[in-house]
Amino acid sequence: MLKALWRPTHPAHTTLGLILWSLWFVALYGGLSVACELVPPTLEQGAVNWLNASLLLLTLATTGVLLWLTQRCWRAAKRFEGSSQERLIAQVGAGAHGFSAGAALIVGLPVTALPPCL
Amino acid sequence: MTEPDPNQHRAFERVWGNRPGWGALAAVNHTSIGLRFMGTGIFFFLVGGLLAMLIRTQIALPEQEIIGPETYNQLFTMHGTVMMFLFAIPVLEGLAIYMIPKMIGTRDLVFPRISSLGYYCYLFGGLIILSSLFLGIAPNSGWFMYTPLSSAEYAPGPGSDFWLLGITFVEISAMAAGIELTVSILRSRAPGMTLSKMPIFCWYILAMALMIVFGFPPLILGSILLELERAAGLPFFQVAGGGDPLLWQHLFWLFGHPEVYIIFLPAAGIVSTLIPVFAQRPLVGYRWIVLAIMITGFISFGLWVHHMFTVGIPQLAQAFFSAASMLVAVPTAIQVFAWLATLWVGKVIFSLPMLWVFGFLVVFVCGGLTGVMLALVPFNWQVHDTHFVVAHLHYVLVGGMFFPLMAGLYYWLPHLSGRMPSRNLGNWGFWLTFIGFNVTFLLMHLTGLLGMPRRVYTYESGMGWDGLNLLSSVGGFIMSAGIALIILDVVLHFRFGKPAPRNPWNADTLEWATRTPPSSYNFLSQPRIETRHPLWDRPDLPDTIAAGAHGLRDIGHGRREIYGTDAVHARLKEVIHLPTNSWWPLLSALALAVVCISLLIRTYPLALVALAVATGLLLRWSWENGAHPKAAPLGLQEPTDPPLHSRTCDGPGLWGMAVTLLADATLYLSLLFSWFYLWTVSPEWRLPEETPLALAPLVLCGLLLAAAVALYSRMTQRLRLGQDRNLLANTALVALLGVLHTAALIGVFAGADLRPTELAHDAVLMVMLFYLLFHSGLATVATGLQAWRVKLGYLSARLPYEPMVLKPFWMYTLGIFWLSVAVFLLLPMAWGSA
Amino acid sequence: MFVGLIALWWQAMRRDPGEISQEQVRRLQNRWILAGGLALPLGSIALILALGIPAGRNMLPLPPAGGDAMVIEVKAYQWGWRVTYPDQDIELTDELHIPTDTPVDIHLTTADVIHSFWVPRLAGKLDTIPGRTNVLRLEASRPGEYRGQCAEFCGIGHAHMSFTVTAHPPEEYEKWREKAQADD
Ligand code: HEM
Ligand SMILES: [Cu+2]
Ligand SMILES: [Cu+2]
Repeated sequence: MLKALWRPTHPAHTTLGLILWSLWFVALYGGLSVACELVPPTLEQGAVNWLNASLLLLTLATTGVLLWLTQRCWRAAKRFEGSSQERLIAQVGAGAHGFSAGAALIVGLPVTALPPCL
Repeated sequence: MTEPDPNQHRAFERVWGNRPGWGALAAVNHTSIGLRFMGTGIFFFLVGGLLAMLIRTQIALPEQEIIGPETYNQLFTMHGTVMMFLFAIPVLEGLAIYMIPKMIGTRDLVFPRISSLGYYCYLFGGLIILSSLFLGIAPNSGWFMYTPLSSAEYAPGPGSDFWLLGITFVEISAMAAGIELTVSILRSRAPGMTLSKMPIFCWYILAMALMIVFGFPPLILGSILLELERAAGLPFFQVAGGGDPLLWQHLFWLFGHPEVYIIFLPAAGIVSTLIPVFAQRPLVGYRWIVLAIMITGFISFGLWVHHMFTVGIPQLAQAFFSAASMLVAVPTAIQVFAWLATLWVGKVIFSLPMLWVFGFLVVFVCGGLTGVMLALVPFNWQVHDTHFVVAHLHYVLVGGMFFPLMAGLYYWLPHLSGRMPSRNLGNWGFWLTFIGFNVTFLLMHLTGLLGMPRRVYTYESGMGWDGLNLLSSVGGFIMSAGIALIILDVVLHFRFGKPAPRNPWNADTLEWATRTPPSSYNFLSQPRIETRHPLWDRPDLPDTIAAGAHGLRDIGHGRREIYGTDAVHARLKEVIHLPTNSWWPLLSALALAVVCISLLIRTYPLALVALAVATGLLLRWSWENGAHPKAAPLGLQEPTDPPLHSRTCDGPGLWGMAVTLLADATLYLSLLFSWFYLWTVSPEWRLPEETPLALAPLVLCGLLLAAAVALYSRMTQRLRLGQDRNLLANTALVALLGVLHTAALIGVFAGADLRPTELAHDAVLMVMLFYLLFHSGLATVATGLQAWRVKLGYLSARLPYEPMVLKPFWMYTLGIFWLSVAVFLLLPMAWGSA
Repeated sequence: MFVGLIALWWQAMRRDPGEISQEQVRRLQNRWILAGGLALPLGSIALILALGIPAGRNMLPLPPAGGDAMVIEVKAYQWGWRVTYPDQDIELTDELHIPTDTPVDIHLTTADVIHSFWVPRLAGKLDTIPGRTNVLRLEASRPGEYRGQCAEFCGIGHAHMSFTVTAHPPEEYEKWREKAQADD
């Protein structure tokens, strides 16, 4: 069951990347809000402080995982030249993972420029 | 077209048709229900349009007093509410309900009585909301009902209650449609129609349906909380008690932004369906579009804060949402370019539907561009809540939804009437609407940039807004004239239209293989479909279907039967037997309407009685399932390969349960979100000194529940293996454990020292307890009924279906129980001691 | 860009492509979708964000270089604005006075529902939220009278909930302040 799910041609992979993206987004926004409420970094530090750094780390890690998943699906799509069903799923999966990776990077980028809690 | 053998046709009509006369109200057939949804939706569109004209009349000139501020506030609130909740969503649901079974080559949706319930909830809810306008007590806090303006203190009249209760009532219909469409698309496609062979429209509707499932629960929760605050004084959104008005905004926009895409996706689906037909070429970039649909579905849940850029959220958080908002431009651009490429490689036949598609493109792309501008925070701070936003939202909604809808209307008109619309009148209708629309709203961008705020019933002259407003109003009336012409055209065509030839546009999808107008059973025999373009690749399909050359052509058994197939590969799995015409949906909806009205007039005993009646009706309705004599009793004349679904362990009911639980879980997550939000962000949140709930009895209560669930799952496992020894005793035992558990829960609740009107903390706890109680009680009652059904012989090793459906519900009940104990009880205790 | 797209669309509808092979369609698809569907929007987004984020940062109420900004407290109510100058004994209704070329922090609160403080020609808008104080930075570079109004719907009187901000050159502002204090 779990093994079948993990195969890059399983339809779950068309949404996995986007689900990961959503979880990351919740963690990013939720983490920022909670941290600002409980232990805000001082204003003087600007955009360089522990909070932004951890958010950036989280973003980069998520992007990395998503890129790896993209590559996995992409390879699978090449392998299934023949079957349209499997290929469609793997291609859409690769697209969704790839988009999620890019989206994580773009959405996460502002942590390098803006102070967190203002 | 070869007509089917008249005897066959009559025999099918007898099983599948509606009852004559008033009996038509008991209809459950998707074609009838879909048409009713669309008809009612268009009625509400006209109402909303009328309100818009009144609004435009009032602000045509400065310093007018035709309509006072009070009425004006009611007008624009109702305009927005009617257009969004009573027109846009229901019409598209209706279209999907009408189209989907035909496109996937089947005869009906998998839960036909639910469609009927959904329709009546929509109709009654809509009428209740509308009645407030005639009573002069309509909601007046704007369509997003920001607290505290909408709360008891600042809106003491019943207007907000109409909104909250009425919309929640209407929401039932959206949820019903969402669940039912999801399961139908996944489990009842024609054999052979794998996901990659599915018409692109079905992907769009699948996404819309799932977005409804995940998008509506936050609003439902928000409405319940706000109504509890108004009626019983629980301070969820009041700062003094530890609540926070911003929580409402989060819950509302968590729903509200996805809603825009719930409206846009099906409309884009219409465009993606029409363009290949009029280019006479397959859609270019099918996979890209599937990808774009999925991306839109997900990303749109990550944008809601862009409606709240001015409430004072940290700028970094705003930047996240700003970037995410711009990213939705990507899937939209993918679709636009895929459409373009399709047109590029095809030889386009220019006709009325294509004219509307062209109008859609112009208006929608324009709206999309202003949307990207709005997503930019500094710009947003400037034009938020001005007429610029009003213009943007109409470019997106009218351009992105109304124009495609009209394209679809003209395209499918021959399907539902069997006649072709006229060209002349239709062209006039389009151009008047298009010009009128642009005059109204293009100028409104300028009015907004010049600083005119929205929702003002009048303005001083000499601000540079006068001429623009007058022109906008004139444009509005031109647009109305256009719409009047379209209505005239459609009405006339039913009388005077030329009879439509078969498949008049030479389309590729299966809905054109039915008769026009369609028969109640759609297809006399159900074909295997192994191509994405069935009517292009096999033009003889309509004939062979009508001649009964494919599957399920027997009707002697008198059951409504369709094929059930597996979700990905569409391999034939079972024969689903559907319920026939029924009064239960109408009666249940009526009882629920009484609940709604009695809550409105605050007659709570009546509400309780009506609620009990509604529950009774719904349970009575669920009784007539499976092997019940009115459904599919065990008998000789039943197929075995594949078997009837109620003889298996996996059928649409299980899928329906799973999707319902997803929605339910989203509701619960929204409650968790509210809890953590208030806890961390609310300015005056307080934890009480002592936990108001007694922990030990609660643990005991949870252990009883765990025992019940363990027993129930063992029982289902053995049923799956074909063993039903002691089934009756086991089921009864689970029911008994359920009773004990529920009683214990009630005991804990009654003994709790809650002060819900003083502390938001206790108020949230109370809602959580009611939520648990509802699930425990329902699972118990359902199991009790199942024990009875075992006794009557409706459940056995041969009929294992119903316990399989109920099992996930028990598991869910167990899950939320312990999660709640952990999050609502243990976490605060740990926090307090830390 | 918009016009270009519409023109392309129009051309696509009118032209007769003749016979096109599957392979050509595939190439066209990839080219158009990659260029128009991915590169075009991503490029524009990058551009907008690159311009927008620094612009947004400049609008933040960061402490100005030379010490603290001047503070004015504004409490919105149905339907008007109560303006207080802390420690200066000045209370006004529906009017603010500020010195030019000086950063001023408006501390926004509300007595009842949500309103929104907006002076279109000076800054973006910011809501007044029950239980919270929001801070908006204003800075007028030119003296004069600026019109402001409530931008968040707040009930019957919303349309008439306007106010003025008068910016004086610093010396005149001092004079105004002394006079206002004396009046009180
Ligand atoms: C028939 C042509 C229409 C006209 C002339 C029109 C006009 C207007 C005007 C003038 C307002 C602004 C009211 C104000 O802020 O004071 C407004 C608001 C709105 N309209 Fe329309 N409208 C039309 C169609 C539609 C359609 C088709 C939809 C949705 C599918 C729609 C949805 C809305 C919404 C959601 C609002 C915001 C309501 C609020 O502020 O609470 N409108 N409309
Ligand atoms: Cu939005
Ligand atoms: Cu206001």
